[in-house]
Amino acid sequence: MKNRIKILSVVIITILIAGCIESKKTPEISEPINLVKMSGQEMVQRLGTGEIAGFIMWEPYPAIAVTKGYGKNLIFSGKIWADHPCCVVAYDDDWYKKTNNSDEILKRMALVQLKSVEYINNAKQSDSPDHAQLINYTMQFGGMTDPVAANLSLADVEFVYNTNVEGTATFIQKIQDFGIFDPMKWNQSEYRNASDYANSLITNNYVEWAVNNKDEDLSKISLKEPVNIRYAYLVNDIHELPFYVGWQKGYYKDIGINIVIAEGAPFQNGAFEMQNGFKANTVDVGSLGIPPVIIHRINSNDFSNDDARVGVIAGMNNEGSVIVVANNITSMKDLQGETIGFPGPGTIQHVLFLMEADKEGLKVSY
Amino acid sequence: MKIDSGKKGLIINILSLIGFVILWQILVILARNDSFNIPFIRLRDIPTPVETWYALADSMFTRTYGPGLTYGIINHVYASLQRVVQGGIIAFIIGVPVGIGVGYSKLIGNLFNPVIEIVRNMPPMAWIPLSIFIFVFGGSIFIVFIGVIFPIILNTIQGVKSTDPRLIDAAKTLGASESMIVKKVVIPSAFPSIITGLRIGLGVGWMAIVAAEMVIRSPVGLGYFIWNMGDLGRYAEMVAGMIVIGVIGYIMNISILFFQRRFINWAD
Repeated sequence: MKNRIKILSVVIITILIAGCIESKKTPEISEPINLVKMSGQEMVQRLGTGEIAGFIMWEPYPAIAVTKGYGKNLIFSGKIWADHPCCVVAYDDDWYKKTNNSDEILKRMALVQLKSVEYINNAKQSDSPDHAQLINYTMQFGGMTDPVAANLSLADVEFVYNTNVEGTATFIQKIQDFGIFDPMKWNQSEYRNASDYANSLITNNYVEWAVNNKDEDLSKISLKEPVNIRYAYLVNDIHELPFYVGWQKGYYKDIGINIVIAEGAPFQNGAFEMQNGFKANTVDVGSLGIPPVIIHRINSNDFSNDDARVGVIAGMNNEGSVIVVANNITSMKDLQGETIGFPGPGTIQHVLFLMEADKEGLKVSY
Repeated sequence: MKIDSGKKGLIINILSLIGFVILWQILVILARNDSFNIPFIRLRDIPTPVETWYALADSMFTRTYGPGLTYGIINHVYASLQRVVQGGIIAFIIGVPVGIGVGYSKLIGNLFNPVIEIVRNMPPMAWIPLSIFIFVFGGSIFIVFIGVIFPIILNTIQGVKSTDPRLIDAAKTLGASESMIVKKVVIPSAFPSIITGLRIGLGVGWMAIVAAEMVIRSPVGLGYFIWNMGDLGRYAEMVAGMIVIGVIGYIMNISILFFQRRFINWAD
């Protein structure tokens, strides 16, 4: 008994000493910027009270914080990486295999995405007759009450329907460089490289079909039998506005698809949507950031049955995230040693922040 | 060869741990091979002990990948322990005098008891949402404080109340003042009980800190580490963090027990 206690005492003292040394050593390495996970609403609130020095988040939270005067935009994600892919439309591979006419359904979902994006891009112009309606949709989907913030939140989001294999491969490479993949799982996946993985993830056929049929009347090319699709999306994420527009304007219904909001949706971030939605087979089709798709199709996947396998059929948006900071901060270097809110590890905002810090030679803890 | 009962106990302890690890490995492997399936539980996603061991070794110290810096488990342990110690010290400083007052004086007892009885039934986790909003800094230390203070107060009250009345009478007969009686008779008599309260309280505080760190925003701490690893789908690291929590909690408990037996042996 005495020996055991002696051994345990040595273990405790070793841990404390090692912890002391490590914790003193770490800031000297780099004085990192500390990324801390929180919800969008919390980011705005904590920036307002001065508890955090800034945040990186999807719209509309940057627009809300700026409109309230809590902070200012430091860097738009388009400046970090011009035209970077962001949210996408993805399907669950289990659902795809089990459903007889899944290809027909996905073609039509891509067409609704195309129609919705065209509507938004036209209605974004302030002189468009649909502008007021679009602002209403934006406020409803983004959980906003201020039309000025709603307008601002649309300004930096580039809505798209095309997929982006090259951009996705770049993301995969970055995620690999940043050590986010589980090395054992990556080996199990048997993808040769980033490009190989990106090509396996994305299918362009559906968008091609949509482009060829974009002038057709939706009801004329609708499914013979209407189907229910369990759809998931991210909470108050303006990037996914095309889904909401397609749903509210009845495009899905016209083409024979009944949208049923999936259990647990809207999700707080893409990691939850992948783990609790696609992997748990509660989601058929959903919209989310491309990095959570990339990461969890590897890290959360059981490769013996490929339960986290998803495929990307269309883009949702490019760019549209912002690093917002307190008014006294003028550069990324000012953020060293400060706490910055982010929606969680493995999100697009996480990867973009790391990319910007890399450019500036800064370290980021998370 | 005769094995004494202490050694026999130790051998059984070690064998039980080894048996648990082997059972864990076998169950996960069987589940992954589709040999059995429990509905609604994704047993096959649990990492094996071997995977967990590699993950533990790999994430023990701070690592950098390009601009990204992930703190080692050792930093997270240190941060969590620091919070528990801070919360524990504050709870000790406040809890012991309150417990002595309530246990020794009927008036103070009547004054404090209703509040103590209501508040002590609120679990530390129930304070987390409130502390997120009211504390700009130190919310997790407050959660530990809530977890530690009530076992200390209750055990102090019990220790004070179980002071041998003959000792108090003897001190009074010798002309001791009330403050001297408390200082020289009541506190030494209650001290073993106070330490028992501290031990129980730190156990509760340790469990509470991990829950608090999952919610209260801090870049370091074992709770935060587990949550982050879960978000990244790094389940082996997540389970490694959980095991570290269990081991540290165990070490804390037996360390205080050792201290109690070694230095406060008048309790026996």
